[in-house]
Amino acid sequence: MVLLASLARFYVVRVRRRLVHELLAVLGIAVGVALVFAALVANTTLTSAMTTLTKGVVGETASLQMSARGPEGFPEQILTRVERTAGVVAAAPVLESRVNIVGPKGRRSVLMIGSDPRFARIAGPLLRPFTDINRNTVTAIGRQKIVGVPAPIARDLGISFGAPLRIETEARIVRVPIGVALAERDVGAIADSPVILAPLPYVQTISGLEDRVTRIFVQTEPGAEGQVADALRRLDDGDFNVRAANADIEVFEAAATPTKQSTTLFSMLSALVGFLFGLSAVLLTTPYRRGLIKQLQLSGFARRQIRQVLLFDALALGIAGSVLGLALGDLVSRHMFDDVPDYLAFTFSIGDQRAVTWTAVLVAGVAGIVAAYVAVFAPLREALPPTPRTGRSAAGRADRTTWATLAAAVAFGVASVIVVAAPQMAIAGLIALTVGLLLSLPLLLNLGSRLLTRLTRSMSTPALPLAAVELRSRVREIRTIAVAATGALAVFATVSITGARADLQRGLDASTRDNVGNADIWVTFPDAPNVLATTPFQDPRDAASQIEDLPGVRGVRLYRGSLLDVGDKRAWVVAPPREARHLVPPTQIREGDADEAARRVRAGGWAVLSETIADSLDASVGDLVTIPSPRPTRMRVAAVSTNLGWSPGSILLNADDYASAWNTDAASALHIETDPGTAPDAVKPQIQEALGTRRAFQVETRDERQAVHYAASRDGLTRLTQIAILVLVAAVLAMTTAMAGMIWQRRPLLARLKVQGFSNGTLWRALLFESLIVVAAGCGAGAVAGLYGQLLLSRALETITGFPVFYTAAVLVAAGTFCLVTAVALGMLAIPGRIAVRVEPTLGTVRRAQAVPAVRR
Amino acid sequence: MLELRQLAKTYASGGGELLTVLDGISMSVQPGELVALYGPSGSGKSTLLNIIAAIMPPDSGAVLVDGRDTATFDDQEASHYRKRQLGYINQSLDLIPGISAIENATLKLIGVCSAREARRRVTPIMERLGLADRLKNHPDQLSAGERQRVLLARALATEPRLILADEPTGNLDIQRSQEVLALLASLCDERDVAMLLVTHDPAAAAFADTAHELSNGRLTAYGPQSNGAVAPRRS
Repeated sequence: MVLLASLARFYVVRVRRRLVHELLAVLGIAVGVALVFAALVANTTLTSAMTTLTKGVVGETASLQMSARGPEGFPEQILTRVERTAGVVAAAPVLESRVNIVGPKGRRSVLMIGSDPRFARIAGPLLRPFTDINRNTVTAIGRQKIVGVPAPIARDLGISFGAPLRIETEARIVRVPIGVALAERDVGAIADSPVILAPLPYVQTISGLEDRVTRIFVQTEPGAEGQVADALRRLDDGDFNVRAANADIEVFEAAATPTKQSTTLFSMLSALVGFLFGLSAVLLTTPYRRGLIKQLQLSGFARRQIRQVLLFDALALGIAGSVLGLALGDLVSRHMFDDVPDYLAFTFSIGDQRAVTWTAVLVAGVAGIVAAYVAVFAPLREALPPTPRTGRSAAGRADRTTWATLAAAVAFGVASVIVVAAPQMAIAGLIALTVGLLLSLPLLLNLGSRLLTRLTRSMSTPALPLAAVELRSRVREIRTIAVAATGALAVFATVSITGARADLQRGLDASTRDNVGNADIWVTFPDAPNVLATTPFQDPRDAASQIEDLPGVRGVRLYRGSLLDVGDKRAWVVAPPREARHLVPPTQIREGDADEAARRVRAGGWAVLSETIADSLDASVGDLVTIPSPRPTRMRVAAVSTNLGWSPGSILLNADDYASAWNTDAASALHIETDPGTAPDAVKPQIQEALGTRRAFQVETRDERQAVHYAASRDGLTRLTQIAILVLVAAVLAMTTAMAGMIWQRRPLLARLKVQGFSNGTLWRALLFESLIVVAAGCGAGAVAGLYGQLLLSRALETITGFPVFYTAAVLVAAGTFCLVTAVALGMLAIPGRIAVRVEPTLGTVRRAQAVPAVRR
Repeated sequence: MLELRQLAKTYASGGGELLTVLDGISMSVQPGELVALYGPSGSGKSTLLNIIAAIMPPDSGAVLVDGRDTATFDDQEASHYRKRQLGYINQSLDLIPGISAIENATLKLIGVCSAREARRRVTPIMERLGLADRLKNHPDQLSAGERQRVLLARALATEPRLILADEPTGNLDIQRSQEVLALLASLCDERDVAMLLVTHDPAAAAFADTAHELSNGRLTAYGPQSNGAVAPRRS
């Protein structure tokens, strides 16, 4: 047994001689670990931020909640009946309202939560300030007319405590005295959440929802949860749902699924690229380790001891790479993956808390060590005793290539079946495509080298034929394949994801044009997350009357919309006025006839459901369904649509049917149609002036609102772009590092070629040609497979999530990515290549005994 | 063909002292002549070949090839000289792995003629060297002697007028050494090639027209009186 200390000492002695190579290997592994870690942290952070807020409000004690179906809540009086229900220990009302708070440094959309001191008994840390606790900084705000603002938000907005706070709520502006700053020591990590607190009666007054609440949290006796839930449901006359107290987490999970899936998928591809990077870098040290094995063998070390030495190498590389990777991943997750996608922020109050779990650290760290182990041992298998070095016969190589090609064909076949018959298995399909791509590379490189040899047979210039010879000699080297595989994976991932993203973007843009194009000018509540126009405002007809007589205004109509929980899905309810140009968006219909559906929805009693909502209600075109609105309403399904860009699903009906089903006169937007020939831009200032500054309204032309929508949908997909860029950068680095290492290690051969009469220029061009072919073969294969991957992903997005997807093969993206990666890699290789060919020819005349392994016939 | 005039070369040793390995070397090699050069390890034999091959400049003196000083060659001319006029067989057995023996042997003809023509030219040479059944074998399927002969075939492929051979028999057994030396000698005769053969093998002198010994940076005549080896065939 070789002692650990001896192994460590031996390693340190050896590593000094090849520090640069070892550092490159560490860097390669670190890049892979960083990408995996950053993606894991981004995903856990999303859920954790939502969970933190939910637990902050709900605490650990409440087990049930009654949640309002509409933004106007339900009567507070029902609380008395709840408290009297058998099995209920405590019940506490909450009113939540989306508002803006405005300070000298800007405006912030927050969730205003109103509660009651009684709730503090069963609530989480967020509502502690409602109790009469004895703290200097937190004077109980129980029943006072003051608002608690998290200290970080107050700081960001420049709000000074004691000064009045401006709150914009439901199209009105209120100034309230400010009470307390909620620091982390008062409310825990929720201090980073976008919320403000106030006593329930005060929030009811501010929001204009007197005697209304949006939720009642219920603490039950142990074991009585089911019985209490049934009893509470019997109290329901359509105003609320009875669900688990923390049900919002499930709803959020459903909404965040597309983002998480895409991040996970990309992190897998990133991990593969990172691993190939690490492998390429570790392979730089392989010749040295081969020599080491030989020396150890000759010195009488047993196979087990040699393995221990190599294992120590792998562990040292893996641990160093993992530690560095975790640090890099932490930076990436802080600075690149830190934004909550807008589409989630529209509906959920998600804070800035980062969640770094031990699971993420372990998964990424162990992945780094395993990658190092594989990278160290895989290329040395044949060198390890007692297996004799067998060399690689041409027949053996041919066999391996044949098997790899057959396996690649099977993998591509599996992917094709998934594209056609089971797009919901997109992840499996992408894995099959990736496997097929990697397995086909040896064949492609072989074909490429043969083709080049054939093409250069009659050439009189030496560089290309020399490159062909060199390529043929290395086409089966694991490092050559690793370089090509790195490029292939990076281009594959970029093309498939970017292409699918573009398909989705086209679909979303079409949906936006149909929806936003229904009015020339939109008037909404200026809440930042109100892009979907789901925040209602009262007395909309008063506002409309201020506008409709203005010159250039042809008509003003009420648009209504909100979010409605259907099962575990928070659906987007879209209710345009009957007169809307595209009452039913023609580009988004999946089942049924768009014109007929529009006629029916206009007539009333009909709704268009997205596929996911239709599935959850088990309905198809023509069926009767009950919309779980505050006043449950039976409607017929006019058509089945895409999800209109909102991942949990959508319900579309006309604005009058909405008013009836939600039992409200409130609207969430005014649709303004301008006179023909009148530019909306010209009318907009008059509308802003007519509405005045007493109420907080936002006036946008169609183009402005479309721009906001486009930006929001692009923001939701930003993370994909960020990861794609990271993967590309990592891949280019990986390929250039590996190729530069190969070129550098080939200096003795270059020297021998110089002795044979090849000039510096010829050798340099030959090196570049050879690199070009390896990189281009990998990137080219990746681009073609990427187009296939795009088709698979787009089909999956369409069928699984119901997003609108307009497929167009991303040929330009594929060509552009191919050219970019190839050109950058070659550009970066030009300098080390130029330096390498300046090697002294005398290096080629030095004796290298046993340079070629023993004879094998 | 080849004339050396007062060549001198000095290296700095590890301790900072100057080590003179060539000290006024002058000699000439004519077409069809095989000159053997003996000397102990570290005597400067390989340095001398490197200077002749324009791989390394001398400190002083000149190498004249067909009357032209190699010190005047730029990179392009030096490359052309090594590729077209010179055959350099060094002691390393390194061939390019992963390609066949015939492809290794035709390496110098890349850019000179087509691949088909290169094969046509080299195949008879390889047959002559006893490699007829090894043309498609890869380096890891060849013995040391076979690899040595592939290197020889590569050196001969461009029909050079001068061959520098640095211990070409160092990896061969006695019988194979004799065969290779005989082959080199016959090539000199048949093709009128000038050849400078650096060797430790006493038997090589028997195949040479002239033999010298390099010792302490100077050339002396090599003969039976120095180490009992057989005398050069034409001495």
